[in-house]
Amino acid sequence: MSWETVIGLEVHVQLRTRSKMFCGCATSFGDPPNTNVCPVCLGLPGALPIPNAEAVRLAARAALALGCTVHETSVFARKNYFYPDLPKGYQISQYDQPLSTRGRMTFDSVERGRVEVGITRLHLEEDAGKLLHDRFPGKTAVDLNRAGIPLAEIVSDPDLRSPAEARAYLTTLRQILVYAGVSDCSMEQGSLRVDANISIRSVGEPALGTKTEVKNMNSFANVEHALEAERARQIALVESGQKVEQVTLLFNAGSGQVKPTRSKEESHDYRYFPDPDLPPLVLTIPWIAEQRTALPELPDVRRSRLELALGLSAYDARVLTSEPTLADYYEAVVAEGVDAKTAANWVMGDVMTQFNETGSFPVSAAKLGDLIGLVRAGTVSHQAAKRVLAEMASRPGEGAEAVARRLGLVQVSDQGALGEWVSEVLAAHPAEVARFRGGETKLMGFFVGQVMKRSQGKADPKGVQPVLTEKLREE
Amino acid sequence: MSIGRDEVLHVAKLAELAVREDELNRLVDQLNRIVDYVAQLDQVPGDRIAEAFIPGPQAVPLREDVIAPVPLSRPPAAIAPEFVDGFFLVPRHTAMEDQ
Amino acid sequence: MSTAAVARDTGARLAEADAHGLNATLHWSQACLDAEASRVDRMAAPGPLAGMAIAVKDNIVTVEQPTTCGSRILAGYLSPYNATAIDRLRAAGALVACKANMDEFAMGSSTEHSAYGRVKHPLDPDRVPGGSSGGSAALVAAGVVPVALGSETGGSVRQPASFCGIVGVKPSYGRVSRYGLVAFGSSLDCISAFGKTVKDASRVLSVMSGPDPLDATTVNRPPMAVPAPLASLKGLRVGLPREYFPPDLHPGVAAGLRRTIDAVRQLGGDVCEVSLPNSAYAVPTYYIVAPAEAAANLARYDGVRYGPRKVGPGGDIRALYQATRGEGFGAEVRRRILVGTYVLSAGYYDAYYRKAQRVRALIADDFRRAFAGGVDLLLTPTTPTPAFRAGEKTEDPVAMYLADIFVCAISLAGLPALSLPVGRTDGLPIGAQLIAPYFEEERMLAAAAALEGVIAAGSEVER
Repeated sequence: MSWETVIGLEVHVQLRTRSKMFCGCATSFGDPPNTNVCPVCLGLPGALPIPNAEAVRLAARAALALGCTVHETSVFARKNYFYPDLPKGYQISQYDQPLSTRGRMTFDSVERGRVEVGITRLHLEEDAGKLLHDRFPGKTAVDLNRAGIPLAEIVSDPDLRSPAEARAYLTTLRQILVYAGVSDCSMEQGSLRVDANISIRSVGEPALGTKTEVKNMNSFANVEHALEAERARQIALVESGQKVEQVTLLFNAGSGQVKPTRSKEESHDYRYFPDPDLPPLVLTIPWIAEQRTALPELPDVRRSRLELALGLSAYDARVLTSEPTLADYYEAVVAEGVDAKTAANWVMGDVMTQFNETGSFPVSAAKLGDLIGLVRAGTVSHQAAKRVLAEMASRPGEGAEAVARRLGLVQVSDQGALGEWVSEVLAAHPAEVARFRGGETKLMGFFVGQVMKRSQGKADPKGVQPVLTEKLREE
Repeated sequence: MSIGRDEVLHVAKLAELAVREDELNRLVDQLNRIVDYVAQLDQVPGDRIAEAFIPGPQAVPLREDVIAPVPLSRPPAAIAPEFVDGFFLVPRHTAMEDQ
Repeated sequence: MSTAAVARDTGARLAEADAHGLNATLHWSQACLDAEASRVDRMAAPGPLAGMAIAVKDNIVTVEQPTTCGSRILAGYLSPYNATAIDRLRAAGALVACKANMDEFAMGSSTEHSAYGRVKHPLDPDRVPGGSSGGSAALVAAGVVPVALGSETGGSVRQPASFCGIVGVKPSYGRVSRYGLVAFGSSLDCISAFGKTVKDASRVLSVMSGPDPLDATTVNRPPMAVPAPLASLKGLRVGLPREYFPPDLHPGVAAGLRRTIDAVRQLGGDVCEVSLPNSAYAVPTYYIVAPAEAAANLARYDGVRYGPRKVGPGGDIRALYQATRGEGFGAEVRRRILVGTYVLSAGYYDAYYRKAQRVRALIADDFRRAFAGGVDLLLTPTTPTPAFRAGEKTEDPVAMYLADIFVCAISLAGLPALSLPVGRTDGLPIGAQLIAPYFEEERMLAAAAALEGVIAAGSEVER
């Protein structure tokens, strides 16, 4: 029998705010434990939550970027359960009246081409604290610095059909959220987390199979690996006549395996109810419209603009728009008057390598534009320009031409100097000169190379050949 | 509607309350008495039911995104039952070790 | 009198009350009182409450003294911050004199459910002072302090004020910040004031009132003024809701209300009958809404971050939770947590909690309609009987709940109300309740002050 995989994802992203969701504590990462805490996020008796306006704005912006309807009235609800990382014994979240619902997002699936995924909902909630199990023997340590950090939870419809699609969806989703400026989306720092629901059914079967929930995946690649492992586990179960049970599984990146955590009998009853400490969240239609207008250009639109307006290939446009900062840089180089394709070639090389590593590039677009101008004018060779750029990147501030001069990489096209190098080369290779004169004209390349070598790359290759031709003709 | 022993134990588990065996029967009786009493709301006809009531402001006020925590006049260490090296400590729990 | 003398005399009276076994205080010290006095003396501008000693219910957090909520689960707990109300009172020059005993987590109507022993009625040690703010009420009634803070969730200030023969005022929901009031039923909780006189209680409320950026449920309106007593009630229409005068009303209480109605007329006011039919459902509605909210509000007492910790057999985190909570909470609190958890649990939410919140809307709408129909204030008995005997209702939780039958609906509707002493029956005080439209405290307090001037609250009523 052939099986179809059905996957839905729940993504939590940390909203980029200075202070927490319901109190004035800092959201900074990596501070000493339990230092960014106050009566509210410690869950002290008598403390009350006040929502952060910026978190609301960012969540609404994320929702609009995903095509969701942002509701004029939404309600904060308490999700009740006990866990040592949850100070109040409930998490403030949203339940039956979330901030936004019913969006959609498209991405490219290797298997199915352009795929549209429904976004069930995007709602606001607060994060829990952090537990450390290996620091004190026999103890779990609790750090509440994270407790109360604002999150948007983004729930997709079960529209994904393979682990690879799950990964592609996440890549696209992340890109949209970064473009919208709502989150850093860093899995390393925990500002993006993914839980996956997965089930299998025989192809053609309309009803959904029993789903399991997979957690603890710390990269998009691991999401794909974990879901592959879980799909294989479910298929093996069903094909051996067993049933899939509704469980939560944790992915172990070391072993590549998933294993169940809680038994079924502990299925949760969260007893959601509206938080009486928080009246409804009311947003006006003009405010929502304003947020929509303020949305920056999203990756899809930017990609097609680069293709249509600048004539880039689909591949180049996709690569250059992978990160908004990279695309901004590229467009700034083009704005310096550089030809779009030439600029793309430059930016997709060393510039992008460094962008991917550090998120920025130390040479301004204007200076890179100058350098490309030097190449076009023949002042610096393409080869030498790469060395100039590397030097500029390691010691920012100096201009392209100054660096080229300092490194002695400005091309020499002066006839006298070229003539001297050519004479030296011809004198040093009498045998090759004789063969050339005997009709072996393909040796021209060899002589050009030798001149470039002797000039340490400074000779303008376009100027070398006429001088060579002239001198070889001389007797 | 009546609540049995199992239901009381289930609810006690959700609420993380230890219930002693010797108090269970009395608790079952009392909870039944309370639940029977509040069940008289069933008499209120459904068609008269309005929207849920919200006292106080009808819209939540929002806070500017500034770092301004209410200061603690004594640190967590001073109020915690077990606090070491900046951490609250609890017994290690097997279900949590996976995470 | 100097502030230092106030501190000294208050300390002497507290010591005497303790020695008489009133059991109304949980924490106080002469050193704290003296420190409060010198703090007030150092203030540049003496505030409107300069030198006034105030008792504070032990569910309002204070940095200087413990806050236990009458519970073992918070034994010795020292709050790292002050409630907004405490900050405002202290800034106005008041001296926080003591923390007052209470029903555990404010759950009760007799102050018999304190982990630290029951509070006695100042006039009869065999009777209860009412609850849950019984310690605060007893201290004012016994003349230890002129004013005290209590908290209301479903009548916990008006009912003990009535039992003890003092003034107890519950403001509109959203009038006084709840920041630092340990939550019980968050959509109902109100810090409220006791006083020997309407004026003293009003002064305390006035200082505490006004919006608080730390409480999203405070209403953005200016603080309440202290109204001057009305010389006459001419033009004032007082409604008598017929559902609040049942035929089986205690005859002494009925006589107290007749006396109050006469006083309204004597001052030139009009009296008319109105109907609040859905108030009949107030107590069952309350006993769904309040426990549901309480079950969530009390989840934070888990022995992880503060408070004493117990670890049961097994030694794991569940054993910690269950033992800390099972042993830390008393019987009534555990009952309400279980009821609240039950009514919110899967399959019951719609039948109980959602339904109760909707009936609550009907109850509130009755009041809105009565006031819209031209009534300025409502007048009812505060309690169906005078103070009952200790132990009389502890076995039957529902019987205890019915002690709040006349006060609950007002809490559900979020309205301001007060209990005014209007006489005694068999030596026990009787209270009359005045109810005002939302945020019309000033009208209510002005009328109450006028009635206070003409009713001999200390005298026996004629049955």
